[in-house]
Amino acid sequence: MSRTPRADFWFSLFLMLLGAAVVFESWRMPRLENLGIDPLSAPGLTPGLLGVVLTILGLWLFLQNRTRKPEQAESDSNASSGWLRVAVTLALCLSYSLILLGWLPFWAATAVFLLVFIFVFSDAAWPLWKRALVASLIAIAGSAAVTLLFEQVFLVRLP
Amino acid sequence: MDAILSLLGAFADLATPGTLFNVLWATLLGMTIGMLPGLTATLGLALMTTLTFRMDAGDAILVLICMYIGAIYGGSRTAILLNIPGTPANAASALDGFPLARAGRAGEAMGLATVGSFFGGLVGMAMLALVAPQLAEFGLRFQSYEFFWLAVFGVVISGRLTALDQPIKGWISGFLGLLLAQVGQEGIHAYHRFTYGSLDLAGGLGLLPALVGAFGFAELLCVMKQPAYQTVRDMGGRIVPKIRSVARRWWTILRSGVLGTFMGIIPGVGEDMGAWVSYAAARRASKQPETFGTGNKEGLLAAETGNNAAVPGAIIPVLTLAVPGSAPAAVLLAALFIHGVRPGPLIMIESPDFIFQVAAMLFWASVAILLLGLILTKPMLVVLRIPREQLMPLVFVLCVVGSFAIASRVFDIWVMLGFGLLGFALRQMHYPMAPLVLGIVLGDILDKNFRRGMVLSDGSLEPFFLRPISAVLAVLTIMTILWGLGPIHKAFNRMTGRSP
Repeated sequence: MSRTPRADFWFSLFLMLLGAAVVFESWRMPRLENLGIDPLSAPGLTPGLLGVVLTILGLWLFLQNRTRKPEQAESDSNASSGWLRVAVTLALCLSYSLILLGWLPFWAATAVFLLVFIFVFSDAAWPLWKRALVASLIAIAGSAAVTLLFEQVFLVRLP
Repeated sequence: MDAILSLLGAFADLATPGTLFNVLWATLLGMTIGMLPGLTATLGLALMTTLTFRMDAGDAILVLICMYIGAIYGGSRTAILLNIPGTPANAASALDGFPLARAGRAGEAMGLATVGSFFGGLVGMAMLALVAPQLAEFGLRFQSYEFFWLAVFGVVISGRLTALDQPIKGWISGFLGLLLAQVGQEGIHAYHRFTYGSLDLAGGLGLLPALVGAFGFAELLCVMKQPAYQTVRDMGGRIVPKIRSVARRWWTILRSGVLGTFMGIIPGVGEDMGAWVSYAAARRASKQPETFGTGNKEGLLAAETGNNAAVPGAIIPVLTLAVPGSAPAAVLLAALFIHGVRPGPLIMIESPDFIFQVAAMLFWASVAILLLGLILTKPMLVVLRIPREQLMPLVFVLCVVGSFAIASRVFDIWVMLGFGLLGFALRQMHYPMAPLVLGIVLGDILDKNFRRGMVLSDGSLEPFFLRPISAVLAVLTIMTILWGLGPIHKAFNRMTGRSP
């Protein structure tokens, strides 16, 4: 029994749209006959087939979802705080990888990211100075360790 | 006889101090990764592949295999102590491991899990050395038609077995993976598909950044969504199990080892199913099945033997057909290509000793988990005391560095983020990840072989259905789909008198 009926409904619509779009795009791909190439090896053949399959699967999910009674949403008191943590995590991770890394050197961007992340999520019962101190220490040590380890030991280029 | 000599030769070749040192640290790192909730064997292997691509090929593959074995075993610690499987493969271990820990016998449970994992690895290794050369020879009969069906069957069976409640979700996941693999320059005419003028997209969506995203970033978001897990203080009890206690369960070990290996061989099914099937078989064979789930040692032993035996099992199709048996094995497949090894049916012709070298690597990795698992049980619990808010940002930094490292492309970081968000959304809607990964790996095989087959048969579908091996694979695929259809499944249950 589906535990996510509403999400399944929207996802089934998305799949049908995606499948149809893929079929359309595959149909538009050149068959390369002018180059003397067998049309049975046309680049759009496999994606077109997969588009059809995804449309059918989307339709199947849609129909299956319609015949099932919607269940009561889980009454989880932690759900909203969980989603808040996800939103903050997402914001921090995207800021680090999409903004900070292009703007600051790797070691500095990493230190700032670690500092803010650990500070924000550390035990709220701790006094502010302790949260800041622990976050700063781990941020400095973590950033230095990752930078040195990857550059000097694994000889990897850093972003 | 030649095979045994080759195997013994490979054991001896690897028994050098430098190699054994690599075995120890890589297995220990794997165990640590497996222990930490949120870090899976797939993520560990993907990150380690990016970091070891400058190493000598033999050393790098050894490190990856040790890490793989170590991570699948390491997850049992968390399953036993916290009732949270360290990796998905250890979910069955929590059923009896955690009740044992609650009864103050955590040490005994961990010792039993260690011994089970060791023997599981050995049974799987022996089967790899026996089965892989035969399977490679059999694979030489495969042409485009058979490879096409192998790809379709892999996605269908993986989707069916990883989403038992709703197989359609497994199939959607798998076919999405196949579709995503079509992005970029295709392999026959070099045409750029779905790239819309982007040179980055023309290179395709990299497997490793995709896996790091789907198993690293997505898992990080899942972990942060959950309430914080409890840290461990005490484990209690003796660790080294009594020899008599293990010896009288030899049949459970052997059965679970064989079943786990076979589940590993099935494309995209992997270690978690290896554990569940072995657990179910042990329960069925038990005189006291009602005690399973309440701290039955047989259940824990079966689950841990099964999942570790599935590791060599999952490597068998990687080596012989270039098709992964599980998500971590998909990473291993990518790593083999990076290091210039060409897995596939020709492996016994091009590098006949390689299969035995891999078997020897699995042997030493199993020995390492036995030694490290029994000696370092208490010190390793320190890892479980690290709060997640200190660990997870470091994991994300590793995800970013790991994605970037292989090709030094910022685009790969975007791929990692994109797959992380996709993986998180799919997980929230209860879609399995393994078929998605398998789809990404098999997409190219499916595409090339379907079109080649169509050209060779001049547009006729007959060879796809009438050649003997193709026909078997086609029938298996259709049967798997029919088996997943609710009404047919229910009708079968009614006919056989089983409750749905």
